[in-house]
Amino acid sequence: MTSNKNSPPNITLKKCDVVIVGAGAAGSLLAAGLAQSGKTTVILEAGPERKLSDLVSSGLHSRKLKWFGSPVEESGDKPIGNNFNSGYGTGGSALHHFAVWPRLHEEDFQMKSLYNRGLDWPLTYHELRPYYDRIQKQLGISGDKMAEIWRPKGAKYPMDPVPTLAQGEVIARGFKKLGRKTAPLPMAINTDEYNGRDPCIWDGWCDAGCPTGALANPLVTTLPEALKNGALIRHNATVCQILTNDKGDKATGVIYIDADGQRIMQPAKLVILAAFAVQTPRLMLLSANDAHPNGLSNQNGLVGKYLMSHTAGLIYGLFDEETQCYLGAAGGQLLNQDHYDQKDKRAKGFGSFQWMIAQATKPNDLLGFAGSNTALFGDALTNFMKKAAHGFATMTACVEDLPVKENHVRLSENTDNHGLPLAHTHHNSHPDSKALWHASLEDGKSVFKAAGAAEIWTGPEGAMHIMGGTVMGKDAKRSVTDSYGKCHEIDNLFIAGSGLFPTSGGVNPTFTVHALSLRAADFIKENWSNLT
Amino acid sequence: MNINRRKFHKASGAVLLAYAVGGDLLLLSPAKPQEQKVPYQILTEEEAGLLELLSEAIVPDAQKSGISHYIDHQLAAPKADNMLILKYLGVPHPQVNFYRQALLAFKKSCPLFQKKNITDVTASELQDYVKLMIQQNPPDWHDAPPAPFFYFTLRSDAIDVTYGTMEGFSKLNIPYMAHIEPAGKGWA
Repeated sequence: MTSNKNSPPNITLKKCDVVIVGAGAAGSLLAAGLAQSGKTTVILEAGPERKLSDLVSSGLHSRKLKWFGSPVEESGDKPIGNNFNSGYGTGGSALHHFAVWPRLHEEDFQMKSLYNRGLDWPLTYHELRPYYDRIQKQLGISGDKMAEIWRPKGAKYPMDPVPTLAQGEVIARGFKKLGRKTAPLPMAINTDEYNGRDPCIWDGWCDAGCPTGALANPLVTTLPEALKNGALIRHNATVCQILTNDKGDKATGVIYIDADGQRIMQPAKLVILAAFAVQTPRLMLLSANDAHPNGLSNQNGLVGKYLMSHTAGLIYGLFDEETQCYLGAAGGQLLNQDHYDQKDKRAKGFGSFQWMIAQATKPNDLLGFAGSNTALFGDALTNFMKKAAHGFATMTACVEDLPVKENHVRLSENTDNHGLPLAHTHHNSHPDSKALWHASLEDGKSVFKAAGAAEIWTGPEGAMHIMGGTVMGKDAKRSVTDSYGKCHEIDNLFIAGSGLFPTSGGVNPTFTVHALSLRAADFIKENWSNLT
Repeated sequence: MNINRRKFHKASGAVLLAYAVGGDLLLLSPAKPQEQKVPYQILTEEEAGLLELLSEAIVPDAQKSGISHYIDHQLAAPKADNMLILKYLGVPHPQVNFYRQALLAFKKSCPLFQKKNITDVTASELQDYVKLMIQQNPPDWHDAPPAPFFYFTLRSDAIDVTYGTMEGFSKLNIPYMAHIEPAGKGWA
């Protein structure tokens, strides 16, 4: 069935205060905050309903959680890996995320000012810090502040750190021999009972979604809070258009297509787009109207621009000792950020990276140990599998991706089964980001060599996390939103999520997504009458 | 900190394919329909034979682990239930033609088939062919996805069915430790 944006809706619903597009980390958190303040809140999720009982411990079943909405076209020398990095259904990509929650560093917020590279954020670390602190207390993070010698200022973690298991000990030995430190990886995974949620038992199935409640995904944190406070969630509700008044300075609601193909109008006083870094700009471009002929809030042509994705620096090794690589958390056990600060003082490249050390690794899937060396086949593969099951170890660099305007989301000439143009994403690695990735591999190999690995090899340039596309900034001519995610051209249209990031840093984005969303929720509550 | 190995899960009925037989739903491990020669839903017998042969050359044990019925079942599944690795690799659902075109290209480009019937070729005879397809399209590989990409995909599929199950973990002597077991959830 095709959807003509000019055709009237089949059904018009009662106006609500807030409609939120997307039930992932950002959308669920904003829904919780706004519903708690008494706002009638509706969440529209394009994907199906997910329950904890759906989170089957299997690398195969985990693929059901990933994106299968309208196909996303990808081009460039380092495509963003949308289908691997995006979720679909309740919880969005946060449902299968690995819960590695480090903070961005102070300099990440001032790239342009400090280095004349990339963009500045419209806020500083110190302005965001209270929200990091509140989120880690609210949702729970395990970690060791003192051991994290690289960490910017902030409150101590509310839970003891994650355990270091055999794989972590083996790799940490390499860092130690080189005179370097490791710290427990800060993770939104319980090491003790926290807010009624059980501690983790370190069985390494995070990627398949955590059904025990130990990992802070929206199904066990913010979404129940939102629903308890009266928010409604509608699944299989694909938003196809954001509506504005004739003047174009106010959003008036959205139109979505339900599972039966009906076009349904949900009027709202305030609209929040939390559909992740690809679908949010797609939706803004799809919603072009007379007042916004280039797409909503896109006079400067920046909607969809500065798309980013961290590069994974994958180090693998075989050790003669038992590593029990299948245990722990999928995100890892230990952290090293020796290569984080002083982005401009690199032998090669520019930017930051961190090591996430000793990921729980199962045999199969893209991140399984069988996939670490794809040239092996036949008997050589069988022999490798037997050895790797007991002596495999890995660590991953999260390598900064410099923001480049030419990396973008645009509308394709091809359409989905609703007749709507697909998202086309284009992403090339910046040469300095690519050089930094190469440097991370050299660094990682030296650590594994020092640790005594019998064999060492590396993986290809993989895309990890998706950011940018609707960047925030102080200057309306050079950004899409302000620091709260409020669109420069439409006062009651907000964007939430990693799409707002002007720079990627070299850390996992989900903690920062939560902190920004909490700040935006406070702002909306405090300024409700002015915004609507 | 070391964690002692836990008791292994028994492999019986771990991950299952759902078959409607006479109005009843039968759940079978992928190896069972292979053993019982259950008819394919999407693949032809020849395609299934080619698939098994090449998979077995890449990942030993893939054939008896049920690679052809696994892929056949996935290709017949609705988009929401698709568990093929292709989902990550930018090949949109339905992915039938991806396999069909590649298997035809395999049939046309493998020189062994000019001398022998497909059923007479063994996996061990394909070593040189596989080495070539990792690097480039073999001669006469036409109108199909690039051979190295097909190799990567089929290798991943074969690893999924051979090692990504509770039976596969047992084979490697490592514990599965499910929070929620795949048993009874089906493969499609």
